[in-house]
Amino acid sequence: MMMKSVIGAVVALSLSALPALAEYPEKEIQGIIQWGAGGSTDTVARAITPRAEAVLGGKIVMQNVTGGVGAIGLNQVADADADGYTVLFGAENPLLYKVMKLGDKDYSDFIPINIIARGVPILVANVDAPFNTFPEMVAYINANPKAVKFGSTGPGGLPSVVTAMINAKTPLDVTFIPYDGDGPALTALQGGAIHVMPAVLGAAIEGIKGGTMKPIALFDVEASPQLPDVPTIVSTNPEFADVLPWGPFFGVFVKEGTPDDVVAKLTAAYAEGAKHPDFVSLIDGRGFKMLSLSGEEAETFLNGWQSTTSWLIHDAGLTKASPEEFGIPKP
Amino acid sequence: MQTKQPRRPGELVFNLAMVLGSLFLLWSAYGISGFEALSAPGAVPMVTTAAMLVCAVLIFRESLRKGASTDETVARDILPLPILVTIAAVAAYALLLRPLGFLPTSFLFLTGLIYYLGRYSLLRAALLSALIVLIIFLIFRIVFTVLMPPGIVPEAEILAWFRGLFAGRGA
Amino acid sequence: MDAVNALLIPIFDLQLLGLIALGTFAGIYVGAIPGLSVTMAVSILISFTFTWEVYPALALMIGIYMGGVYGGSRTAILLNIPGAPSAIATALDGFPMAQQGKAGEAIGIVTVVSFIGGFIGIFALALFAPSLADFAIRFQPRDYFLLGVLGILLVGSLSGESLVKGIFSGALGIAIGSVGMDPLTFTERFTFEISGLRAGVSFVAVMIGMFGISEGLMQLHTVNTAAVKQTIGRIVPSWAQVRKHLPLGLQTSSIGTVIGALPGTGGDIAALMAYDHAKRVTKNPEVPFGKGAIEGLVAPETANNAAVGGAFIPMLTLGIPGDAVTAIMIGALFIHGLNPGPLLMTSQPDMFWFIVSSLMLANCFMLIFGLTGIRLFVKIVELPRTVLLPVILLLSIVGAYAVNNSLTDVYWMLGFGVFGYFMKLYGYPLGPVILGVILSRLLDDNWRRAIISDQESLWMLLKGTLASPLSLVLFAAVILIFLSKTPLWGLVFRRKTAA
Repeated sequence: MMMKSVIGAVVALSLSALPALAEYPEKEIQGIIQWGAGGSTDTVARAITPRAEAVLGGKIVMQNVTGGVGAIGLNQVADADADGYTVLFGAENPLLYKVMKLGDKDYSDFIPINIIARGVPILVANVDAPFNTFPEMVAYINANPKAVKFGSTGPGGLPSVVTAMINAKTPLDVTFIPYDGDGPALTALQGGAIHVMPAVLGAAIEGIKGGTMKPIALFDVEASPQLPDVPTIVSTNPEFADVLPWGPFFGVFVKEGTPDDVVAKLTAAYAEGAKHPDFVSLIDGRGFKMLSLSGEEAETFLNGWQSTTSWLIHDAGLTKASPEEFGIPKP
Repeated sequence: MQTKQPRRPGELVFNLAMVLGSLFLLWSAYGISGFEALSAPGAVPMVTTAAMLVCAVLIFRESLRKGASTDETVARDILPLPILVTIAAVAAYALLLRPLGFLPTSFLFLTGLIYYLGRYSLLRAALLSALIVLIIFLIFRIVFTVLMPPGIVPEAEILAWFRGLFAGRGA
Repeated sequence: MDAVNALLIPIFDLQLLGLIALGTFAGIYVGAIPGLSVTMAVSILISFTFTWEVYPALALMIGIYMGGVYGGSRTAILLNIPGAPSAIATALDGFPMAQQGKAGEAIGIVTVVSFIGGFIGIFALALFAPSLADFAIRFQPRDYFLLGVLGILLVGSLSGESLVKGIFSGALGIAIGSVGMDPLTFTERFTFEISGLRAGVSFVAVMIGMFGISEGLMQLHTVNTAAVKQTIGRIVPSWAQVRKHLPLGLQTSSIGTVIGALPGTGGDIAALMAYDHAKRVTKNPEVPFGKGAIEGLVAPETANNAAVGGAFIPMLTLGIPGDAVTAIMIGALFIHGLNPGPLLMTSQPDMFWFIVSSLMLANCFMLIFGLTGIRLFVKIVELPRTVLLPVILLLSIVGAYAVNNSLTDVYWMLGFGVFGYFMKLYGYPLGPVILGVILSRLLDDNWRRAIISDQESLWMLLKGTLASPLSLVLFAAVILIFLSKTPLWGLVFRRKTAA
């Protein structure tokens, strides 16, 4: 009995006495995924992490903490210790929390470990829709106000941003049918409940290849290698060039204040993981653009994204507070 | 009209609370978007809470008609001591889970309740609890990697140490 | 010929066979323990099977899925706590059977009919996948809304003695389901400025609270009475008994398959609708529903297992998930370098037949594992209540916590547990509350989509309903079932004769 407690004390002491970061990671790391199982963020996070674990030499236990447009997961990481043992896998949404009044924290309270990849928006339509290109669509909508049904998701999501872009250039009189994600909306598109949907290329790519939906325009400045025949929006409507390229993204983050050597280790691990050929082919296959940004580059990317998007949706009247209040500069 | 069951103690209070609760929820549902549109986010909540209110009023009226029960008391038939103790124990569990951690809290909870309800000896209750908590811990934490709050037990370090031990042996 | 080869892959590969068996076995426990869900287990497996080949990874996931859907019935029967939402209806008649000392018999029947239901779902997948997917995808928001209305009419079946209390409970459930930030517009509903409420109330926390905690508290009244002695007679139901319920089982399996194939509805709704169907078509059950009717076990358990095969139908033909689990499997296929979509069937027909065959094997293993060890399980009910009740409470807490790793959910569970206890005391039925929570999103979201699509005009919505054959059938079903339940009709009628 005596012996046991002595050993216990020694173990406890040696554990606490060890310079906590000498051998990071010395215990399991918690990985918090902002979005639900099966979504893009989840799939990418679960695909890259085992590669990064191999480099890191530690285990990352992944869990989905969903709700509040991702704010619940974000806050959980923000409330944990800044010791690198709680890692956030997040998408672009937090950069809009402040203007949407969804929370008072965003990625400025975090250090980006790796901005993994960016999605490419694409406008797709039901196969029976009476138009095939963007100009044809605009002409049809102008001739039939309110008759065309656009799928939408909540304000701040990709569809709302793409719609805001379109409305800023060519105002359209359409009916918006709300869905809770682009997956359900694309299903509805195929069933004819909606006619047009702005979606991320990855979610639509197989449907386009299989002929269950038709592409109208790719919202990017260059064509996608997966779908080289789909015209970009700038090829028909060059006025869109000033807001593109734009796209949702996902990345790995730790809380601000995490020690530099921990950040360096995690950054190296995820950068290495992102290079793995299998992961690269997953990213390509789902129609994403690999970024793998970290450090300075990642910060610049985040700030640029926040400024473009916040002002875009603010000008479209979708925000609850002006980006100015939070010192977000105009692009 | 209906069967004339006697009213149970507290029934009138509960049914009245349901009326007031429904009224409050209806008011709250109205606050979501008012009578903006049929498709407004507040439309379905307003319909459902209105249905609640109508039903609650009908139920309350019905319970007014019943005669009061004579042989039941709140302390014996509605909230006897063991039930109050159990509710308190669950609440205490939730409060202690974060600071104390999963293993100690669960152990204390089980030991306490089994001892209190069953009049087992404290030792038997404790042994039984330790065994059950261990099984639950193995299933949830090890097999399904559900992270329960570790609290004062350095779980992650101990597990890492075990893993190191096995890895060391394997190498 | 290729199809035959692909069908044989898992049967002659011992490793795959073993993985399917292991998955099914583990799945039964995942399903049985409240708080552990198949969705969770399958997403953990994605990281775990990351470096594997795609076949073994899928074999394990399919096993877990099949076993998990069935496993939920275990705790529903033995403890009146459904291990998963799809077993809610099973508790309604399963638990009364256990209280009568017939837990073994109940589990035996559930196992056999789950097998039958699973088989029919897989059969539909193998033979009619393309046309069923084509049918499922044509459901418009209006049709989903009507389906939700059809579901909410079940309140009549779940209400017990007082219909008014049942309607109150059902409406309360719908209100609970709409707490939080509305996913369509991001409007806050019933959040009362509390940030913890934005994410909504976890459905599983409500379910565990209302069933687990309130049942536990209720049983404290009788904590010192001896546990019900279980009579362990015949566990495998007799052929005569199976044959007697086969017609019902076939109907409810079809319901399960179609509802499973619809994107956005799954085994939970399928099981409840099947239960309602059974109540409607069974004129003279040997034992009344809610008191231990066999039909009340047959219907939900065939339907939820049939929904498994159903859920794969849109996934494999169109790349559209039929439920949360198939959504994760689509992610898994991507990770393994496959591209599930409309081209999968033509570019990789092997994958389709491999999944069909694995499901079939998982279904068989489920039957074997389900029927063994029943005697041991039944002993759980015979444990002294003074030990069993604290363990149920602990498992409920852990389960509520584990769903979202959230302590708030534990408070919700306790709150709803205590509330549910009072509701039980004062004769409010709890089933409709859960029904309301399950159907809340289906009703609310699709109502709004439907009415927006028709330019906010009820008249246009009605016209659209009458013009579409599918909507018309659903609309007619709503009207007919509403009348056949006759609570209002009967009331009016009786009053007239009385007057």
